[in-house]
Amino acid sequence: MRVAFTLNGHRVEVDVESSETLLDTLRLRLGVKSVKRGCERGECGACSVLLDGRPVVSCLLLTVQVEGREIVTVEGLYGDELFEELFEEFSKNFAIQCGYCTPGMLLTSYALVKRASGGPLRVSGDHIVKAIEGNLCRCGTYPRVVRAVSRVLERRLPSGSRL
Amino acid sequence: MVVEDPRSIVKRWLEAESLLVVGKSVERADSIEKALGRARFVEDFFEEGYLVARLVLAKVPHARLRAIDYSRALGVPGVARVLTYRDVPGENQVGYAIPDQPLLAEGKVRYCGEPVAIVVGRNPDAVNEAVELVELDIEPLPALLDPLEAMERRDVLVHDSLGSNIAFRTRVRKGDVEEGFSKADVLVENTYRTHHQEHAYLEPEAALAIPDLENRITVLATIQYPHLGQRIVSRVLGTPASYVKIVAPYIGGGFGGKDDEGPLVAARAALAAYHLRKPVFLYYTREDSIQTHPKREAAVIRYKSGASRDGKLTAIEVTIIHDTGAYANRGPFILWRATMHSSGPYYVPNAKVDGYCVYTNKVPQGSFRGFGNPPIHFAVESQMDRLAEKLGMDPVEFRLANMLRPGSETLTGQVLESSVGVHEALRRLAAASSWRTKRQEYERSRTGRFRRGIGAAVAWHGNSTSRGVPDWSNAYIHVARDGSVSVYTGIVEMGQGSPSSSHRQLVAEILGCPADKIRVVFGTTDAPDSGATHASRGTSVGAIGIVVAAGRIRSRLESFLSEYYNVERERIRMSGGQVVVDGEVRMSWEELVALAYTKGVDLSATGYFFLPKGAFNDDVGQGFAYPAFSFIAVIAEVEVDTCTGGVRVLEVHPALAIGRVINPEAVKTQVEGAVLQGIGYALMERLVFSPEGRIVNDNLTDYVIPTSHEVPVIRDPIFVEDLWEFGPFGAKGVGEMAFIPMPAAVANALSHALGARITELPLTPERVYSVIKQISGG
Repeated sequence: MRVAFTLNGHRVEVDVESSETLLDTLRLRLGVKSVKRGCERGECGACSVLLDGRPVVSCLLLTVQVEGREIVTVEGLYGDELFEELFEEFSKNFAIQCGYCTPGMLLTSYALVKRASGGPLRVSGDHIVKAIEGNLCRCGTYPRVVRAVSRVLERRLPSGSRL
Repeated sequence: MVVEDPRSIVKRWLEAESLLVVGKSVERADSIEKALGRARFVEDFFEEGYLVARLVLAKVPHARLRAIDYSRALGVPGVARVLTYRDVPGENQVGYAIPDQPLLAEGKVRYCGEPVAIVVGRNPDAVNEAVELVELDIEPLPALLDPLEAMERRDVLVHDSLGSNIAFRTRVRKGDVEEGFSKADVLVENTYRTHHQEHAYLEPEAALAIPDLENRITVLATIQYPHLGQRIVSRVLGTPASYVKIVAPYIGGGFGGKDDEGPLVAARAALAAYHLRKPVFLYYTREDSIQTHPKREAAVIRYKSGASRDGKLTAIEVTIIHDTGAYANRGPFILWRATMHSSGPYYVPNAKVDGYCVYTNKVPQGSFRGFGNPPIHFAVESQMDRLAEKLGMDPVEFRLANMLRPGSETLTGQVLESSVGVHEALRRLAAASSWRTKRQEYERSRTGRFRRGIGAAVAWHGNSTSRGVPDWSNAYIHVARDGSVSVYTGIVEMGQGSPSSSHRQLVAEILGCPADKIRVVFGTTDAPDSGATHASRGTSVGAIGIVVAAGRIRSRLESFLSEYYNVERERIRMSGGQVVVDGEVRMSWEELVALAYTKGVDLSATGYFFLPKGAFNDDVGQGFAYPAFSFIAVIAEVEVDTCTGGVRVLEVHPALAIGRVINPEAVKTQVEGAVLQGIGYALMERLVFSPEGRIVNDNLTDYVIPTSHEVPVIRDPIFVEDLWEFGPFGAKGVGEMAFIPMPAAVANALSHALGARITELPLTPERVYSVIKQISGG
């Protein structure tokens, strides 16, 4: 079955099985290695991608479902100013240990910051905790992820709305 | 004079002053590539055209294996081969402590989830289909699931040839316990039970075996000790170790699990590649992973202890029973460690301890952060609280009164001359956490739906391997002509950060070169055997070799400079990328290296260091147990909902005596991660076994690990830098430390909140609620 969608800003067309997950298509057919296989039942978030700007787990999506839609992985964010700010804060705050959850954690954080900076939404530390609840990290980096995302939000949100 | 002697080099850097890089929170070298998704894990090396493989797992707990019929599996289009024990060209024997474990089941199956065959094919769909079509011709046998029953039974044996289900015993005989108990004014006796824990690393096990690369078989694997993998693959294939290369690329979490399973997944992939002469990628699904690989020790601990009115421990009597499952795996080492730590970090004059490592038809017990110590500390530290209560003493004061100090004798009669900072750690912790005030405050407000409690727990953990197993460190360092430095180590990078942080810092400090010039090549058998990345030894022992190798190169460069400038060595400084003589910058690091190359200075060195250990008498469990101990004290605050039995950990205060802290932020991440894993173990994680011994919750939906919501406030640790004479700049191990006291600290805090004690983990809402009902007379 032929499916066409946008991957990291480029139109791709692939022949896939109708039962094939987006995770397998990305990893095995398109060579996108940042998207990690963790549980294959939507529980761990290691395979997160952005689907039309929202974080979703690619192991629970069939590739045929993304026809005509936009998929972004961390590879598609190289050079993006917000993404760079985020990963620099992740690094400074030691929010990365084994790194297996990291691309997914960064995409989820990126979507949160994007949404928060786009509107009047008030974002607190609790919102960050909530946003990353679907991204498991067995190394236990959560508090550092929250700190890193907070730093970025503090800089980006209008003054007075400090976290 | 060039100093090449390892002991002198270690001593020089232990005593070094005004450090520039060591002790600083230098950012990790691996962060950016991990953020960009460029860091490669085993599965990321899979390419189209490689064969894929999966395991066929036994679905019965105990049976004679008469035949394996895979004719239908071979009929699936795309399936290339099915391999069983008959296809092992070398030895089908992979037991680490006892030769009791086949790589692939032979003669018998001994647990649900035991690997029986490997299916290899051209695509995952074909392999998945074929896995279900492999049929076992078996004769079912009675299954032993309870270790207490198994240790009594002779009619049913997990291993027929051993004549007993007790795989291994330990004992300590010290002083006279009867006399000790007769001097006690208070006695406490309890039975404690702890449960299995699943590692749940986000990356399941995998291995990619490539035949003929560099004229040998190369295996990329999720493995914590490449050189052990090399030994096991070599044994299974009947090939000299030199023809086997193992590489651990980045590993998505290990926590001990990939120390046990790593060599086995490597050997299974290697076996397939050996027969098929093509690259084979073997992967475990999450379910395969949970069913197959060894788990944290499930223990039954009977503990009796006594103390005199003046607050001194007089005797302990302990029985430790570990359910080691179908294979001993590392069970004997785990039991040995638990036994030799069973006093806690306290002076105990009289002790009788007996340990039993018992076979059952369950998933094997294995290595997991803390390695036998979390359950025994749960028992010890619950006892200490109860004794304090009976004596009417403050739990912290009672602990301090019995705590090991420099010059104290341990449970095994080993005298610790130095590096014993635990007394200071607990004392400072109690002050910093407002222990006394909060203790009283929570006691006064033991009413209402939500109740708070505060509890303390202290732990010790011997550095290096157990049972006197020889331990050493090694590394190879090479400085290239452009001044860039390659460091080769067998230590792996599984998130703990030793190659990415401390190793670099040590080399930068010693060579005086910029940290960004240093590349650490980790996790490869092309490096000298540096020992495993386990037992909190990645830096504490693993990096001693790095200090020695770097120290040798430094000494050669100093000798050269001294001759070159015709000045005494004491007038030369090498740091921050510069050579300074008498306060004047003479050349850069790069210029120095370029010059040294032209003047015959050898800028490559290895750094072998053999850890001195003493004698140990196993009959009485007395003697030299470990070259040094790391220590930790934690104080935890919890809140319990008396309507639901739900427990939340609100705040955790840690204090560590772990020698030199090389990278404070990196150490904090280890503490935080271990605290969270410990909370998971204490409160929510639980493997559920069916009546047949099969793990029911073999996925991350039903086996629940902490999420971002379970994180308490974790205070910055107090560090007591009680330097260890052989550690790199005096460092001791830290990776496991914060896990060990957590179950006890949470249980003690909960018991403080409720006024009642629970002696079985995990402290799930059901269990806690039933106690609340009991005490409220409901």
